[in-house]
Amino acid sequence: MNTMTAKATPDTAAGTRESGEIRLVGVTKKFGNAYAVESIDLTIPHGSYCCLLGPSGCGKTTILRMIAGHETPTSGEIFIGEDMVVGKPPVERGTAMMFQSYALFPHLSILDNVAFYLKMRNVGKEERRGKALEMLERVQLDHLKDRMPAQLSGGQQQRVALARSLITNPKVLLLDEPLSALDEFLRLKMRGELKSLQDELGITFVHVTHTQPEAIALADMVVVMDTGRIDQADNANTIYNRPKTPYVARFMGGQNVLTGTVESNAGGAGTLKSEAGSTFEVKLNDSSATVGSKLSIAVRRDQVTIRRGDEASSVGANSIAGIVEATEYQGSYVKVTLRAEGDEFVANVSDRAFFAEPVETGDPVVATWNPEDIHVLSKVDTGGAGDSYLDGGH
Amino acid sequence: MSSASPSYGSRPWTFYVLALLFTLFVIFLYGPMLAVLVLSFQGPSASLVFPLRDPSLMWFDELFNPRRTGDVVGAFNRSLPLALVVMVLTVLISVTAGFAFRRRFKGATLIFYTAIASLIVPGLVLSIGTIVTFRYLGLSASWNTSGLGAHLSWALPFGLLIMFAVLGRLNPSYEEAAYDLGASKWQTVKEVVVPIVFPGMIAVALFGFTLSYDEFPRSWLTVGSKNTLPLEIWTMTTNVTSPALYALGTVTTIISFLVIAIALSSILFIQRKRSRGK
Repeated sequence: MNTMTAKATPDTAAGTRESGEIRLVGVTKKFGNAYAVESIDLTIPHGSYCCLLGPSGCGKTTILRMIAGHETPTSGEIFIGEDMVVGKPPVERGTAMMFQSYALFPHLSILDNVAFYLKMRNVGKEERRGKALEMLERVQLDHLKDRMPAQLSGGQQQRVALARSLITNPKVLLLDEPLSALDEFLRLKMRGELKSLQDELGITFVHVTHTQPEAIALADMVVVMDTGRIDQADNANTIYNRPKTPYVARFMGGQNVLTGTVESNAGGAGTLKSEAGSTFEVKLNDSSATVGSKLSIAVRRDQVTIRRGDEASSVGANSIAGIVEATEYQGSYVKVTLRAEGDEFVANVSDRAFFAEPVETGDPVVATWNPEDIHVLSKVDTGGAGDSYLDGGH
Repeated sequence: MSSASPSYGSRPWTFYVLALLFTLFVIFLYGPMLAVLVLSFQGPSASLVFPLRDPSLMWFDELFNPRRTGDVVGAFNRSLPLALVVMVLTVLISVTAGFAFRRRFKGATLIFYTAIASLIVPGLVLSIGTIVTFRYLGLSASWNTSGLGAHLSWALPFGLLIMFAVLGRLNPSYEEAAYDLGASKWQTVKEVVVPIVFPGMIAVALFGFTLSYDEFPRSWLTVGSKNTLPLEIWTMTTNVTSPALYALGTVTTIISFLVIAIALSSILFIQRKRSRGK
């Protein structure tokens, strides 16, 4: 992408663009009686790379489409920069959207696809083709300008779609699962190119994905969604290391969620006891965790060590006993899945440590961690316990 | 199963049964057409059956310079414009109706079934109904009024069904992409939707043309005193007993094939252009 800086952005629109900050205030979208998005508040800073992350049906695409102007919120306000944009067409919003299927017009050459926006603004044929060619040079596809979309590979089609969006000189680029149609190799390559493109343009990117590594690798800001609500919006590192809720911890992967009852709380040093009797030492910053209440904690899979343990009685604090269900070699580490206290518990053991003392399916083991690696979640896990009345205390 | 000998793809007996069936089907489909084609070159013996004696073009000459046959040229001069008008109207109405049905509106299903139901009304009954209604209203039947209406009642539902299939496959993100790039509603239709569905529109045109050009039952009473081509042929079968009948069959079949060939080659041309580029 070294030709990128050589050509200036064609100032087809207002020239210099104002802020691409996106602000959603109390945005709700209902389809019939079902809430796709329920009362969302979210601010995406100008010039950031934001990933909306969640399973399918969580409402992330609906949010993107409402920002783009392809869906109208049932209630609430959407601001881009200073403007309230609800009801405005995309071009007036300063947004451009890249569709999941790319939606390149099959009857137009690549050059005319990129020039489409200028044609709609009655720019003369020579001028718009010249500008479209410049844009194609930026994505290094100028040599294919006369091809039809059907003749291009998936990666090339995506670059054309990018060029077609960028020629509108947007302050916000909206990407709907842009990498999902590509194979693994291209996906990683395009992921890098998207990131460097965003760095270079300095405009706001909003990228919808259901793939956690994609979000973590790209985003300055990750917004994790669950059935129409935002569970957590933070930078990637915080989302991954300090998930707020059991849902985020589970969805991001890489974490084990444990739940116990507070046994003691002496000036921040507390002890939890699980239903099966294991004890976990935790640092309790807030004093709301009173003795007898339930609390969920998370520990990263790669901060767990395992050893063979024959007797359950030998299990000390900050450890849990279980039976190996599966081992999966991942190259640099081995993923060891345990069944412990009725739940799944995963330890990612470095390959050196694993092969020094290998375990096999069916072996009884003890998983141990350091108490400082424990992270307290703000909600009690209701995944399996069924103590729903304890949920929502915060 | 382990004792079964390995198979290297020898064909099962059902293949031969179905191949025979297909051969019979093809013979049945094209045999009569070939018979008519061959016998239209019958010589002066004027025999209506095989064998072919002293091949000549005399019956084609008879067709265009009628002495004993009916007004074939006049009938053709009515059938062709009628078919073209039906074609244009079918395309216009089916395409616009297809767009209307893309956005679900109240009563859409009812209107759709009302439009489609005319397909199951027997053509002869519809023909009688049309003429009775025209008489009651004090209007006289003619190929370009009551005839046109009767033909549209046949061609339109087909056109509508084809347009539904074509527009149903049209990804809505094309329209959204156009909107995203600043196109107005009209520009979206003109610059994006119509070019994409154009092959489907040719198919609708083809159906509109051939359904009208070949139509007998709905023409029967509705075209008034002057016949269209299918009616003229039917009259000839009862009056004329010469191979001129076969010559007429050959000419009309060739015209139908020409129309289909033009339509299909233009669809192919568009698709090639899209997949190959300029």
